Amino acid sequence: MYRLSRLRFLFPIGLFVAFFLDGSLSKVWASLFFSYPYNMVSQLVLLWLVLSYFFEGNIKIPLTGFAIAVGVIADVYYAGIWGLFIVLYPLMVWLTKFLARYFNDTFLNMILIFFVDVAVFELLNYWAYYVIGITHANFGDFLINTLAPTLALNLAYFVLLFWPIQSLYTRALADRQRN
Amino acid sequence: MHKFFSNRRLVFIVVVLVLAFGLMGGSVALRNRRATPPLIQQFGNDVVGIANDVVAVPVNAVSNGLGSFSDLLNTYSENRKLKQQVSDLAQVKVRDETLAHENRQLKKELKVQHTMTDYSKINAAVITRSPSSWQKQLVINKGQTSGVKKNMPVMSAGGLVGRVVEVNQTNSKVELLSDTSESANRFAIQVDGEGSKTINGIITDYDSETNELVMGQVTSKAKVKKGTRVTTSGLGGVTPKGLYVGKVARVGKDDYGLAQKIYIKPAADFNDVNVVTVAELDS
Repeated sequence: MYRLSRLRFLFPIGLFVAFFLDGSLSKVWASLFFSYPYNMVSQLVLLWLVLSYFFEGNIKIPLTGFAIAVGVIADVYYAGIWGLFIVLYPLMVWLTKFLARYFNDTFLNMILIFFVDVAVFELLNYWAYYVIGITHANFGDFLINTLAPTLALNLAYFVLLFWPIQSLYTRALADRQRN
Repeated sequence: MHKFFSNRRLVFIVVVLVLAFGLMGGSVALRNRRATPPLIQQFGNDVVGIANDVVAVPVNAVSNGLGSFSDLLNTYSENRKLKQQVSDLAQVKVRDETLAHENRQLKKELKVQHTMTDYSKINAAVITRSPSSWQKQLVINKGQTSGVKKNMPVMSAGGLVGRVVEVNQTNSKVELLSDTSESANRFAIQVDGEGSKTINGIITDYDSETNELVMGQVTSKAKVKKGTRVTTSGLGGVTPKGLYVGKVARVGKDDYGLAQKIYIKPAADFNDVNVVTVAELDS
């Protein structure tokens, strides 16, 4: 039961922090993230959503609802253009669930699923913005200048944050059972 | 295994796609046409902006701490370099004041009220940056209540960095010059060519490979020296005249070999913007 668990607080707060850290890190480390001509897109929100799905155990967090909510905020606050992240975040939740059915829960499988998520996310982001004319970078440039560095950054996040977030979830879930 | 694209799912996907692209296209069109975003969007942005400070403050504190440490390390060499410049600067400042005074007197004589060089400044801090590779946007902590309006030019320590694209009550979005979307970067600029001819043009593009701004649509044939300073020209009536953009890095021909294309090394570092100045034209 999500409503009765400690995740009721942990999950939204984590999502909130991840959302703002994406922007703050992009600002503070701008010379690293956006060193010409490369672009790294920080996707802590996506990481939090995916890891929450893996660690939630038998508590079903309403991930799709939260994904839509964070998508709306990202659209309005970071992009100023409606309609992209509101679709992309729930889609990534769905994709994670879809892929997770075919793999068992090991670290390597999880990082593989996250890899696919980030790649699909960036690809759809590029494609949508290309269609509506926000960008006119060609596909090769996108692969080399955006996708590759973004994957590198986010996989580094994954490796660095996997165990801290796992222990956070284990603790939150263990406390619930003791009470 | 059931059919992947069952009828219901297919309809759902199509509806979502149409809605998403409708929203995106609509909001881009709205943003280009209107001076301010819809009220709901403004309200949302204001609330999120305030909440952002909770996370941004500790992150900035850590970053400032690290920054001041590295500043401390190169203080000595920087100090030596700056001392040389300070003595020059005093002279320039006095001359600047004298000229400004003379300019005011002459304007009064000619009964000219305000020209394109008269502007006031609104200082703002940068709250955050869009984590996106396509939209190079900053969020600053001043909005309509401080007098910020859409399309105002934004400067950082070095020079021109971008333009205000969205204004909420308490914060606004700034699109950097390094953004290459179709609606971006159209600043009217000028550079002095040889024989004191002024060359006018606009910033048409940004070259991310070399970090250079491209000044296109240059019809003048006058030669330009490398290292000449480029400033805004004030043409168009929105941007004040004389905002520093950068220095000429090289001169090339456009794709058809007819007009000149001038590459400009921007004076400001688009990846190190913490405090900005929004320039408001006096009227």
